[in-house]
Amino acid sequence: MDLLLQQIINALSLGGIYAMLALGLAIVFSIVRLINFAHGEIMTFGGYGIFLAMAFGFPPLAALTVGIGAALMMALAMERAAFRAMRGADVVSLLITSFAVSEILKVLFQNGISARPVPISFPASWSGTYQLAGMNIGVAPTVSILVTLTSLSLLTLVLRRTSIGMAMRAAAEDFEMLRMLGVRANRVVAVSFAVSGLLAGVAAVIWTAQRGSVDPVMGFFPVLKAFIATVLGGLGSLSGAVAGGFVVGLLEVLTQAFLPDGVSPYRDAIVLGAVIAILLVRPDGLLPAGDGSRS
Amino acid sequence: MSLPELNTHPSRLRAANHLRTIASLAVLLAAVAILVWGFGRTGERIAVLMCVNVTAVVSLMVFCGNTGIVSFGHGAFMTVGAYLSGILTMSAGLQRSALPDLPAWLAGHELSILTAIPLVSLAGLAVAVLTGGVIARLMGASATISTLGLLIIVHSVAISAREVTRGSQTFYGVPRVTDILFVLIASIIFILIARTYRESRWGLYARAVRDDEDAATVLGISPRRARLIAWTLSGTMATVAGALYGHILGAFSPASFYLGLVFAHVVMMIVGGMASVGGAVVGVIAVTLLQNAIRNLEGGATVLGATLPEVFGLTTIALGLAILLVIWLRPQGIVGGFELGPGADASVLRNIARMTRPADAPAPASEMKLVASGMSKSFAGVKAVIDVSFEAPTGRITGLIGPNGAGKSTLVNLMTGQYTPDRGRAQIGEVDLTKLPPHEVIRQGFVARSFQNLRLFAGLTAYENVLVAALATGVTRKEAHAATMRELSAFDLGDIAGMRAENLPYGARKRLEIARALAQEPAILLLDEPAAGMNPAETDDLANRIEMIGRDRNIGILLIDHDLKFVNRLSSRIVVMNRGEKIAEGTPEEVRADAGVIEAYIGRGRTARAAEHASSTQDRPYPTEGVLA
Repeated sequence: MDLLLQQIINALSLGGIYAMLALGLAIVFSIVRLINFAHGEIMTFGGYGIFLAMAFGFPPLAALTVGIGAALMMALAMERAAFRAMRGADVVSLLITSFAVSEILKVLFQNGISARPVPISFPASWSGTYQLAGMNIGVAPTVSILVTLTSLSLLTLVLRRTSIGMAMRAAAEDFEMLRMLGVRANRVVAVSFAVSGLLAGVAAVIWTAQRGSVDPVMGFFPVLKAFIATVLGGLGSLSGAVAGGFVVGLLEVLTQAFLPDGVSPYRDAIVLGAVIAILLVRPDGLLPAGDGSRS
Repeated sequence: MSLPELNTHPSRLRAANHLRTIASLAVLLAAVAILVWGFGRTGERIAVLMCVNVTAVVSLMVFCGNTGIVSFGHGAFMTVGAYLSGILTMSAGLQRSALPDLPAWLAGHELSILTAIPLVSLAGLAVAVLTGGVIARLMGASATISTLGLLIIVHSVAISAREVTRGSQTFYGVPRVTDILFVLIASIIFILIARTYRESRWGLYARAVRDDEDAATVLGISPRRARLIAWTLSGTMATVAGALYGHILGAFSPASFYLGLVFAHVVMMIVGGMASVGGAVVGVIAVTLLQNAIRNLEGGATVLGATLPEVFGLTTIALGLAILLVIWLRPQGIVGGFELGPGADASVLRNIARMTRPADAPAPASEMKLVASGMSKSFAGVKAVIDVSFEAPTGRITGLIGPNGAGKSTLVNLMTGQYTPDRGRAQIGEVDLTKLPPHEVIRQGFVARSFQNLRLFAGLTAYENVLVAALATGVTRKEAHAATMRELSAFDLGDIAGMRAENLPYGARKRLEIARALAQEPAILLLDEPAAGMNPAETDDLANRIEMIGRDRNIGILLIDHDLKFVNRLSSRIVVMNRGEKIAEGTPEEVRADAGVIEAYIGRGRTARAAEHASSTQDRPYPTEGVLA
C-alpha cells in the first residue's frame, strides 16, 4: 500500500510535467499548426535562467521566478524571430524550421554555457520527506503536483473566463475566421507562445528542483515524451494533451516500478510500444480535436 | 493543343520520365567525377560519403516525398541495417572478442557484403511491414511524431541489447568499404528504384493521397495501402542504406544513427526539394559539400588574418541556417516541386510522334438505377437529411436542387460513402453502396463524383490527375492512358495536360474534376455544383458537354446545383430538397409550379404572385434572381 501510494504520487508528479509540456505544445499547434521541436530548448533555457540567477546570488524562490521568466522570454523571442515570418506555411515547413531552431539553440547552449551539466543547489529541506498517515512522502513530488494542478486550473480559468482566452480557444478551432472577425492575430499567437513558455518554465522549475542540474539537452527527453502525449491525446486537442501527459507519466512510472530487472532497460521501448498500441485502436487519439472541414 | 498532339502525350511523358532519371544520375555522376578527379584522396573520401548519403536520402524521399509526411524514423531502419550487416560480415575471430554473448544463430556467418545485403533487406522489409501498420494509419503531424517514436524505440533497444550491439559502446570490426565504384553503383540503383516507383501506379496513388486524401478515397484509392507501400519500400531501402553507411564507418554506436544523422538527412531532402528524386540528389550534394567546408572551420581557423574561435557544432549551426534560408526563400527546395529535367510538354520532346489512340467512348452503360430509399443523417442533433428517397437511372439527367443548407451535399456524401447514413440505403440493383468500400464502388463501375469545393490533386499535372483516376479502376496502364486522353479532349483540356492542377485557371479546374470522374467510366455520375463560380459563357459550354456525354454514353447523371436555369435546361426530372427533406419531385414544369418549392426559395409573402408569374410564362425558366444565385 505504501509503495502503491508512493508510485501514484510519482506518476502524478511526472505526468504533471509531461501534461504541462504537452499542453504548451498543443496550444501552439492548434493555433499556428506548428509542432514546436524547440519547445525543449525553451524549458532548458528556463533551467539556465535558474542557474544564472543563483550564480548571481538570488535567493532560491526569486531564482525560480527568473527561470520561469527566462522560459517565457525565450518562447516570445522564438515566435518573433523564427516563426512569425513563417505564418501560414505548411505543417512540414514549420516543423523543419523548429527542428533547425532547436539544433541551433542546443549548440549555442553547449558553446555559450557548458556542454556538461551545471549544478543547481536548492535548500536541503526541498528534497526531504514528510509523514502522512504513517507514510513517508517526498516534499518535491508533492509540491510539483500542487504546482501543476494550480497552473492547469489557472490556465483553464484564463481560457474560459477572459476574452484573450476565448480568442485563443476560438483560434484553435478556426484561426482564419477569427482574423476575419477582427481579432489581432499577432496578439493571439504571441499570447499562445507566452502561455506555452510559461508552462515550460514551470516544468523546468520542477524538473531542475528534482534533479539538481541543467545541461544543454535537459528539455529534450521530457519534451519527446510530451510529443508522444500530444499524439496520444489527439493532436491539437488541449484536454487530450493533458490526458496524454498523465497517461505517459503513469505508464513510465508503472514500468519503472514493476518491470523485472532483465527487461527494465527496454522501458522506453515498452512505454512507446504501449502508446502505439493505443493509437492502433484509436488513430485520432484519446480525445480527438474537432474537425470542421466539409467536402 | 489539338488532339493529335495530345495523342503523343503518353510517349512524351514516358520519354520525359527517362530524361528526368538521366538528369538525376548525371548530376550525381558529375559531382562524383569532379570530386574524384579534382580533389584526390580527400575528394574521393567525400564522394564515397556523398554516394552513401544519396542512398539514404533517396530512401527517405521515397516515403516523405510521395506521401508528404516527414519521417524521423528512417534512422531506425539504418540502425537495423548497419548492425545486422556488421554482424553478418564480421570475421569470426573478431566477433568472438567483440561480441562474446552473441546468440549462436547470428554468430560466425562471415558473409561478403553483397551476400549480406539480401538478408539485410529482408530484415528491413519485416521491420517496415510491422511498423507500417501503425504509421500508415496516421496522417500528417501525428505520423511524423510516431516515426520519431519508432526512432526512440529502436535506439533504446540498440542501447539495451548489449549481447548483439555492445550497447552504447563502439561496435567495431565491421569490414570497411572505401571503393567509390561500389557505392556509386549502389546509389545509381537506389535512384532508379525511386524514380520507377515515383512514376508507377503506386507512386501516383501515394502522391494523390498526399494532395487530397478524401478525393483519393472517393476515386477508390486506399490511402492506407498507398502509404504502407511507400513506407515499406522506403524502409527496406533505408535499411540497406544503413548497412552501407555502417560499412563506410567501420565502427559506430547507436548514437551514429540518432537525431544528428536524421537531422542531416532531413536537411538534405528539404534543401534539395522534398517532392522529387532529383531534389534529393541535389540536396545531398549541396549539403555534403557545405558540411565538409564548415568542418574545416570547426577546429578554429584563420580567415583573412582573423583567427576564428573553436566552435563545437558549427556544422550543426550551418545546417540549421541552411534549412532556414531554404524554407524562407525557396520553400519547395532548390529543385522545386517538379522533378529535375524537362516535362512532357517540353520542346525537346516535340518531335516524338508515336501516338496512342484515345480510347473509344465506353460502351453505353447498361441499364442501371441508383435508388436512394429512406436516407437520414443527423450531426449532433442537426437533422441534415431526413428520410429522402429518389431514383437516378442511367440515360437520364436527374436534377437535385434546394436552397443553401438543404442537405444536398450531405446526401451525395451519404451515397458515396463519405458519411455513413443513420438510416436508409443507396442501391444499385441488389448492391447497397453505403455498405461497399469505396474502391469496390469504383471497380464495379457504379458511381463517380465531383466535389462542391474543388478537390484536385494540386501537385499532379492535369494529365496525371485523370490518369490516376483511370488507374484506380484497375485497368492496365495503356488503357488508362487512352481513357485519360479521351476525357481530356472531351473537356478541351489537351493544351494544359502538362500543367500542375494548382496552376490552372478556375474554369479549367472545374472541368478537370468532371473529366477525372468520367475517366472511371461510372454508370452514374454525381456532379456537386459543377457550374458554381463559372461565368454564363462557361456555364453554357459546360452544359453542352454534360448533355452530350450523358446522351452518348447513356450514363445517369445526378446534377446538384443552385443555378436553376442550368439544372432546368439539363434535367428531365428534378428532386427538390429543403431543410433536409424532399419537398417535391417531378418534371421541371411540375416542380416550377409547386407552391412548396416556391415558398422554400422565395418565401411565403410572394408565393402567390410568383406562382402566378410562373404559370403565365411557361416557356421561361424558373426565376433565378435574388436568393437563388
